[in-house]
Amino acid sequence: MSKLIELNHISKSFDGETVLDDISLYIRDNEFITLLGPSGCGKTTTLRMIGGFTQPDQGDVIFMGERINDVPPHKRNVNTVFQKYALFPHLNVYENVAFPLREKKVPKKEIDEKVREMLSLVMLSNFAERRVTSLSGGQQQRVAIARALISHPKVLLLDEPLGALDLKLRKDMQRELMNIQKSTGITFIFVTHDQEEALSMSDTIVVMNEGKIQQIGTPIDIYNEPKNAFVADFIGESNILDGVMLEDYKVRFAGHTFQCLDTGFGKNEAVDVVVRPEDVDIVPVDRSMLCGTVTSVTFMGVHYEIIVDIQGFKWMIQTTDFVGEGEYIGISLDPDAIHIMKKSKYSGMFGDYSCFSDEVEELTIEEEEGPAPGGDAEE
Amino acid sequence: MNKMKLSSKIYSGLIFAFLFAPIVVLLFFSFNDSKSLSVFSGFSLKWYKELFNDRNTLATVRNTVILALSATAISTVMGTAAALGIDRLRSKWYRTAMKTVNDIPMTNPDIITGISLMLMFVFVGRLFGASNSLNFWTMLAAHVTFCTPYVILQVLPKLQQMDKALPEAAMDLGCTPMGAFFKVELPEMLPGIFTGAIMAFTLSLDDFVISYFTSGTGFETLPIRIYSMTKKTVTPKMYALATIIFFVTLGLLLISNFVDNEDNKRLREMRKNRKSTYTRQDDTEENKPTSGKFKKPVAICLVIALIAGIFFFGSRSREPKVLNVYNWGEYISDGSEGSLDTIAAFESWYEDTYGEPVTVNYTTYASNEDMYNKLSSGAVSYDVVIPSDYMIARMIKEDMLEPLDFENIPNYQYINDSFHGLYYDPQDLYTVPYTYGIVGIIYDANIVDEADTGSWDLMWNEKYAGSILQYNNSRDAFGTSMYKLGIDINTTDQSEWDRAAQELIAQRPLVKSYVMDEIYNMMESGEAAVASYYAGDYFTMQEAQASHVDLKFYYPERTNFFIDAMCIPKCTQNKELAEIFINYMLSEEAGIANAEYINYASPNRNVYENETYIEDMGEEAMEILYPQLGDFSELYNAYAYRSLDSDMLDYLTTLWETVKLN
Amino acid sequence: MKSAALKRKRSSFDMALAPYSVWALIFILVPLIFVAYYAFTDNNFNFTTENILRFFTATSNVHADDGTMVEVRTYLVIFMRSLKLAVISTAICLLMGYPIAYIMARAPEKTQKTMMTLIMIPMWMNFLIRTYAWMTILQDTGILNNLLGLFGIDPVHVIGTEAAVIIGMVYDYFPYMVLPIYSIMAKMDLKLLEAARDLGCGSVSVLRRVIFPLSLPGVISGVTMVLIPSISTFYISQKLGNGKFLLIGDAIEGQYVANNLHFAAAIAFILMLVLLVAMAVVKYLTTRHVYGGD
Repeated sequence: MSKLIELNHISKSFDGETVLDDISLYIRDNEFITLLGPSGCGKTTTLRMIGGFTQPDQGDVIFMGERINDVPPHKRNVNTVFQKYALFPHLNVYENVAFPLREKKVPKKEIDEKVREMLSLVMLSNFAERRVTSLSGGQQQRVAIARALISHPKVLLLDEPLGALDLKLRKDMQRELMNIQKSTGITFIFVTHDQEEALSMSDTIVVMNEGKIQQIGTPIDIYNEPKNAFVADFIGESNILDGVMLEDYKVRFAGHTFQCLDTGFGKNEAVDVVVRPEDVDIVPVDRSMLCGTVTSVTFMGVHYEIIVDIQGFKWMIQTTDFVGEGEYIGISLDPDAIHIMKKSKYSGMFGDYSCFSDEVEELTIEEEEGPAPGGDAEE
Repeated sequence: MNKMKLSSKIYSGLIFAFLFAPIVVLLFFSFNDSKSLSVFSGFSLKWYKELFNDRNTLATVRNTVILALSATAISTVMGTAAALGIDRLRSKWYRTAMKTVNDIPMTNPDIITGISLMLMFVFVGRLFGASNSLNFWTMLAAHVTFCTPYVILQVLPKLQQMDKALPEAAMDLGCTPMGAFFKVELPEMLPGIFTGAIMAFTLSLDDFVISYFTSGTGFETLPIRIYSMTKKTVTPKMYALATIIFFVTLGLLLISNFVDNEDNKRLREMRKNRKSTYTRQDDTEENKPTSGKFKKPVAICLVIALIAGIFFFGSRSREPKVLNVYNWGEYISDGSEGSLDTIAAFESWYEDTYGEPVTVNYTTYASNEDMYNKLSSGAVSYDVVIPSDYMIARMIKEDMLEPLDFENIPNYQYINDSFHGLYYDPQDLYTVPYTYGIVGIIYDANIVDEADTGSWDLMWNEKYAGSILQYNNSRDAFGTSMYKLGIDINTTDQSEWDRAAQELIAQRPLVKSYVMDEIYNMMESGEAAVASYYAGDYFTMQEAQASHVDLKFYYPERTNFFIDAMCIPKCTQNKELAEIFINYMLSEEAGIANAEYINYASPNRNVYENETYIEDMGEEAMEILYPQLGDFSELYNAYAYRSLDSDMLDYLTTLWETVKLN
Repeated sequence: MKSAALKRKRSSFDMALAPYSVWALIFILVPLIFVAYYAFTDNNFNFTTENILRFFTATSNVHADDGTMVEVRTYLVIFMRSLKLAVISTAICLLMGYPIAYIMARAPEKTQKTMMTLIMIPMWMNFLIRTYAWMTILQDTGILNNLLGLFGIDPVHVIGTEAAVIIGMVYDYFPYMVLPIYSIMAKMDLKLLEAARDLGCGSVSVLRRVIFPLSLPGVISGVTMVLIPSISTFYISQKLGNGKFLLIGDAIEGQYVANNLHFAAAIAFILMLVLLVAMAVVKYLTTRHVYGGD
């Protein structure tokens, strides 16, 4: 697969605040790529740069080998599904979808054919004459997609398109989007702060934070081999502990030395150790590597989520076995359950469940990125 | 939305009864047979007929509409653009400043807006030596100034509510930034723009105060014309006009409702056809036709504005020769009741005689002082004005009048010799008398005892307390008290003025109302029983008096004589044409028509010696209009108002305020 | 390194504001400077404070209620009377207009449109003519008293009283009160009212604690739009007050007619200053009230 879009060393700041800091990234044809990160991480700005709504202060946007920094949005073969859909309230469903074709002065008959086709693709054939404001969120979503796809762009940009939908609808739409992407072969660039969504839909995930790319990789890579504490914490649940790499395959943390699969660290190098909650086995105390007291138990449906206090550090453990609150239990870790990361600026900031507040959730209450071009800075 | 409760319905009914009560009244009186606005004497459509025959009134209607449409068009475009600009401003300072400034015309009283603009126009006009600095354009500028803030007020919220992603979405889908604006943003703003435009139009149409201060040469709007009628009377013609406006508005409303219903019907049909394929959900919200809903009326408005504009400028440029006449309201024969429309007659006579067309721009004022203010501001340019004697004296003193070339006014020979060499124009250089009159006392013989009549004391007679009317202008009101006391009305002795003021203050508890044109209604309907006014106007009242009213008239021993004369101000653009006009006004046909219309005495032998005129007026009227009180020049020189110097005038204004404060 | 297209877009919107900025400067701000300029100069345009002082110091001898003569400050008395009538008219407009705005906002959409138009229609008929028609209704032998006579009620004397002037003001400026309140109320979320009821508010307290505070911006602009013209009117007081009530507008017009432009400007200047300060205070207080000190 060839490189369709390249972002080379892009930086951007709004009113002196750096939003993107030397981002480089390429996107291949036919790919479903997700920009994932908490609000303010720069993902939407990146998307808007590809769409042409924001210009980089430094660096180049390359589209099919051509620099397109100065190409205005309407001349880019890229379409966007906006966060709140941005359907035109004065036009009905049909006219919304037909909008790009009318702009291109496509013959009426052809427009009609294509609109009907698109509407049936998004299963809205019966809604052509409806006012867009009378549609449900899911329906509006589909109109927005139909409208964006009708002129067959090379790339479809989706800016948190599922954010406003309820859970069930969201799952349906996720599947639908993936189907549409497969059947049309259009490159999808998807922006979300929902890691589950990112994991389940994407070919490639770009994890961003504070205007920097933290990690690029397939969902599996990102989940299993997070590069730093931020990624580990943001993608899935993680217990992140301070550790020391004694030598290859041997790490010491929580007062215990564990076998692991990692190599290539310096002797006695301080590292971050990641242990996913589902990788922790609960064992009888006498066979355990570490022991602690269960401080809380939450039933999650498929499993229980329990918090265990081990020498002052609160571990999160997911288990299908029931344990009671206050019980003294032992845990054991297999070598492949332990993932070692180099220390980063995020070390120590995440991965302790002592107050069990979802830092990420808190951050994402309000989605606010750089201001729109010509938009209000102070609103 | 739920149905209205009964109590709500009743309350709304009461409010609308209140709002429409005066409208019903004027609708009703527009069909009155007589000229009265308070006594209904029979059904008639004559005021409608006269309205359509009255070129000048129709012209002011046209002017009002043109002004309103132009102001609406400009303020809508500029206001919308400004709202867009304000919405996108990044500078908070600039935005706050703009919003604050935009608030000023809305929170400043009209009278201040009007005066402030007038002061500026006049000042700037003087600076550049422009002779016509108050004109259509200054009025337009004034109207745009007070309309635009309302447009912004309507459009800005629409922009702020609009999803900022919409224009981006449009660009994303292939629109240029301009295209995105016109195809997406503008339709979203349209309801706001439309409301704003309607508000602007309404405000402009209804405005009197700002127009009053900023109006100038040759462009008169309806409100100014109505205000100028305050020396004579507001005719039912204006009620007829208001009635027509009412029905036109109502018609437009019905049409727009009808169009809406059609749209809804079409939509319902559409939905019925697709009903079978409907799957689920929200039929609750009314589905509205989305495109074209607001485009139609706005488009119509714009087209009308355009046509009106073309019509207006087209009609201006075609007529090279223009005569600007500035006269009292209701002070020239306008063709009503089969009389001669003297202005139209002049125009056609001129074209027949000189072979080229001329247009008379006829504008009216409510008082000598109004006229003087406009002229002395140097911001207007008139060719003929018809002030009263004392004002003429002042204008001559201030070098505001041109000496006349009597070669061009051969009809001057018909002016009665008594009107030569009077104080205001001792050498007969500047003026040609138009009308003259004597102030007398009008009373209702059914109420007033014959024995109480004969002198000014009637107006101070406590028996008729609450039935006495006094002038609502300082000079005339002081006049009555000074004639009564035997004070020289032109005295420069302040203590004499004080004495007159005391007399007016003493009279105040007896006075029902201080009036100008309201005198007609009040006397005709029996609302009041004693008033002093101009002789000729007594006939107008008598004609329209209610059945229980019997109006009579007498001259007290000392009373005011006045002469209104035609003059040419220094600002004239076409002196010769003005002289030809003056000459024409002295002709038999024009002179008689005017004299019969105005009802005042004429100094013109062509008129007062004419048998048809004498017959038309009747014996009683002739006796009252042309009484044998003694030597005219002598009486005139003794009792006519003379020009007071500005200190004296200022003192008079202050005294008048004191009288009013009591 | 912004794109040319976007640069063009931004500048085209800056340009959009340019005409009005210039217009506002020339036709809104500069004329106010002229008012001040005239107010502080004499007939020869030499600086003087005499006009301003005259407003505060001019006196008149008038009869007090008990018949004795007292000296009063002419223009302060006139101003206070204008203020009194304007405040009463505004209050009546508010009391009458608020319920109708509320009823309109709750009515079916089509009724709303009709009612709105009905309220606007009288404004399309000339303001002078409407006032004139009121004379016919209110005078002692007028339509009102004739109607009352039919029901055997004694005639009332209205014309020439303060009441008549107030009726005229209320009538002429009523739409300015209703429209802003209505437009705020029409936008009000009905769920809020339901929520208030759900939280135990009775009808009255829903009105007092939810509807009224939310409609306050509309009330403020309604009050402004009625108070300002009624404080400065000069036609209504002449016609319906039988010329007996000299209001501040009459004073300004009187000075203008007497060609006393500088003193007219001085009165206008003082009036303007008072109103601008009052409005600024109201605005400041209400924004604090509504938005909690923001």
